[in-house]
Amino acid sequence: MPDRNFFLSPKASKARLREAEQARKERWDIIKANSHGQVSRRDLIKMGLFTSAGLMLPISGLSPFGRSAFASSNIPTGLPPSPLLNNTTAFSAAMPRFDIFPRIPVAALTPAPTAQANTTQQPVDPALGGGTGPIEGRPPGPIWAHQQFGLLPPAIAVDASVEGAKTNTTYNPGVPSTLNSGINPASPIPLKFHPNLPTQQVDKVWTYNGTIPPKLMQVRYGEPVLFRLHNRLSVFQNQNGGFGMHTISTHEHNGHHGAENDGFTGAFFFPNQFYDYHYPIVLAGRNTINATAQDIMASSPTDAGGLNKVPGDWHETMSTHWFHDHMFSFTAQNVYKGIAGMFNIYSGLDRGAEDIIDGVNLRLPSGRAATTGKSWGNVDYDVNLMLADKAWDNNGQLAMDIFEFDGFLGDQMTVNLTYKPYFEVERRKYRFRILNASVSRFFKIALSDGSPMIQIGNDGNLLPHPVVLTKLDEQGIAERYDIVIDFSRYSVNQKVWMVNLAEHQDGRRVSKDLSLSEALSGNSDDPCVGKFLEFRIVRDPAQPDISQVPDTLIPNPDLSNIPVARERVFEFNSGANQTTNDPITSFFGPWGIKTDNQGATLAADYGRISAAPKFGTREVWTLRNGGGGWDHPIHIHFEECQTLSRDGSASKVPAWERGRKDVWRLRPSGEVKITLQFRDFGGMFMEHCHNTMHEDNAMLLRWEIDGAGTPFLNPLPTPIAKPQGVTFMAPDDILPTAFY
Amino acid sequence: MNTQLNIRTRARLFSSSFVTLLIGIVAMLAFGGPSVQAQTTAPAGTVDSSITIPIKGSVSDPRGTVTVTGNVIVTCRRVIDTTSQTTPALVLLDFDFSQVTGSSGATKATLKTYITGENHANEIRPFQASDTIIVTAPYFDSATKDELSARTMLVTASLTFDVSTGKLTGGSLSVGNNVVTSTAVGSVTASDTPIQ
Repeated sequence: MPDRNFFLSPKASKARLREAEQARKERWDIIKANSHGQVSRRDLIKMGLFTSAGLMLPISGLSPFGRSAFASSNIPTGLPPSPLLNNTTAFSAAMPRFDIFPRIPVAALTPAPTAQANTTQQPVDPALGGGTGPIEGRPPGPIWAHQQFGLLPPAIAVDASVEGAKTNTTYNPGVPSTLNSGINPASPIPLKFHPNLPTQQVDKVWTYNGTIPPKLMQVRYGEPVLFRLHNRLSVFQNQNGGFGMHTISTHEHNGHHGAENDGFTGAFFFPNQFYDYHYPIVLAGRNTINATAQDIMASSPTDAGGLNKVPGDWHETMSTHWFHDHMFSFTAQNVYKGIAGMFNIYSGLDRGAEDIIDGVNLRLPSGRAATTGKSWGNVDYDVNLMLADKAWDNNGQLAMDIFEFDGFLGDQMTVNLTYKPYFEVERRKYRFRILNASVSRFFKIALSDGSPMIQIGNDGNLLPHPVVLTKLDEQGIAERYDIVIDFSRYSVNQKVWMVNLAEHQDGRRVSKDLSLSEALSGNSDDPCVGKFLEFRIVRDPAQPDISQVPDTLIPNPDLSNIPVARERVFEFNSGANQTTNDPITSFFGPWGIKTDNQGATLAADYGRISAAPKFGTREVWTLRNGGGGWDHPIHIHFEECQTLSRDGSASKVPAWERGRKDVWRLRPSGEVKITLQFRDFGGMFMEHCHNTMHEDNAMLLRWEIDGAGTPFLNPLPTPIAKPQGVTFMAPDDILPTAFY
Repeated sequence: MNTQLNIRTRARLFSSSFVTLLIGIVAMLAFGGPSVQAQTTAPAGTVDSSITIPIKGSVSDPRGTVTVTGNVIVTCRRVIDTTSQTTPALVLLDFDFSQVTGSSGATKATLKTYITGENHANEIRPFQASDTIIVTAPYFDSATKDELSARTMLVTASLTFDVSTGKLTGGSLSVGNNVVTSTAVGSVTASDTPIQ
């Protein structure tokens, strides 16, 4: 018997459900007060309402986990379930494909983008302190100027916003409705998790452009992008539906860009400002490997169907990213509210056109250029899937408990922000780019009939070789698994499901991996176990499937001649200390990181430098899980890494992790050793747990590359964002081993 | 003001102490420093063990009965939650099928051999004296190496653990057909009308 179940069964007595709902309301009042800035998380812990582990103390009528008057003393209450209003049923709504961002000329942007932040003044709303402030929220000056802006000027632009929920009237799935389960893109799409569920209030759900489906940015190597993001959230912090912060910062996960475009957690900006992110879309090593662009394997698709050679190491080619909010201490809330999208990168190798045969194109399932007229970026048979567990209140409005410091779990599964949808497929191969966009939930995916799937990519990168699997490994938050499913094994009118086998009891970790029969039995206490996406095989393909899954995809970069400059160790623990007290850059929480086996485990402070590798070097980092009962998916920003060992052994690195990665599940009591390089760009980056409840409370650190030459200082000053303009301060702490 | 900002005056960036710090850092860079080595000992609360279990059986396949033989290496890490008195211990299991092969065909002309590729089954399970786990593994033609044609076999693992030491002590494996029920593969019906 577990010591508690996270969710109260819908079959519980009405009195019991009513009691739990009342407890949730009481708790909600506290959460709202916190989110409106009336009381801090630290204050609540001091007041004794919460333990430092994040559990609300079992005060009767306050905590849903308090002992129930209707149950024996050994039975915890659990949270009331999110209601499926209006007879909503699973697999009754079509899964929408992502909504592709329009690509516009850079000249269409007003004002024109600038290398340094545009500090043109505008009035600041009195709610934000009044006066005047810059129109762009990017920190000003040369350090935060777009690196290599003259060398890599933006060729196209994407003009987008973050705003509250509204109806989508401009949906572009990139495919005809026959390939989008019959969805008519011309029909307005209200922001609902299912057609039967209520429209979300403007303050409950925030997304890119304020709409669903989630957004997809399509880019290609050699074509720098200027992503102008407007903050169109309310100037009032309390217009947030009880959770979420109206200041934002977008991380392109995991772009090889200058730090000014990385969505640094402290480089956030305010309502009525914009931020220009410059994504050069370059291969890592561009200044030292294939610098004169002689290798056709390092290439980008042209509109005419050819290739443009680009500098850099083609073994560093990336494919599947995502982008999401990274607001300091509010990432979980803001991403949960919907500020997340996906980012497909196209290259000579990964073209998005399966019919182009030129010796470079891997011809992965995607679509035919000859049919669509698009020489790259076809998504006919290349489908983005964003998995996220959600919860909603009795009115069907999105709900969150920000004090579940173990990790927040929803009790309803969504794919592309639609509750348990179906998706129509043809009898052929499909590529699925699966993103775990949850706050704290891990997934373990299988097909309901146990049929094999082929994993071709892990995180942003195609693997050296495909791996055939009957169920995928656990997928941590922010990890991306690219897989190929061949539906030709099924008959027309059959249906098969994607199934989640990973059972949670809380947000600490997976409590048990279930067998398929266990997961399909419906007996799990975890409502997000079992079927969550239905594939309906609706027809034979109109044209023969000529896509391929080659035996060799992208071999790893050869690092054998690159010396290891030094090693570092990062241990991820509970029970953190905070040695600084800056009210903006530091945060207090139960989580932290110990660096290089020295000193205490420290809670996050983005004014603290924990590591500062030298520009142009390679290092080996050990990521260690210091707490026995937890799992932590650890993310390192900036450049993809190779995994050298797990738990001290290279042979324990599974085949699907032998490519490059940017997120590692440490596994309970586990340890991962990785190697990474620091090149091409400089600035301040982050490393953190991507269980975003852990990240926000406060398992995050700053590291930086300072030796990239002018204008970088050594160390870098910390940006302090304000509506009236960003200022800078010296780092408030530098760990003793950071610069060695 | 209704934001978390505007709280205090900032120190000047280039204060004398900051410049001193910069000089110190430059000196440290010039003279180098020690490298931190990672420890590779097993963390507190964990016990590692591994056993090799022979496997033998057959699977019905459209290409004929496939006889499966070989060894499965089962690696186990028992983990105790050092931060909680109430969270049950767990085991992380890894089933390595790389030494498992199959064959079908009665004659040399019809003989086919099969491999499982690099599939591992990783499982998190509650730690208990014994556990029965049903896992799946793919197999495909070793000559063509056509992973797209892979099929699935069912492997039932009965494992025993020493509850005092936390070690995996024994086990057996049986091979079976991946029986597909209507729960696993359904049919589109009239009731599947979409709600738009």
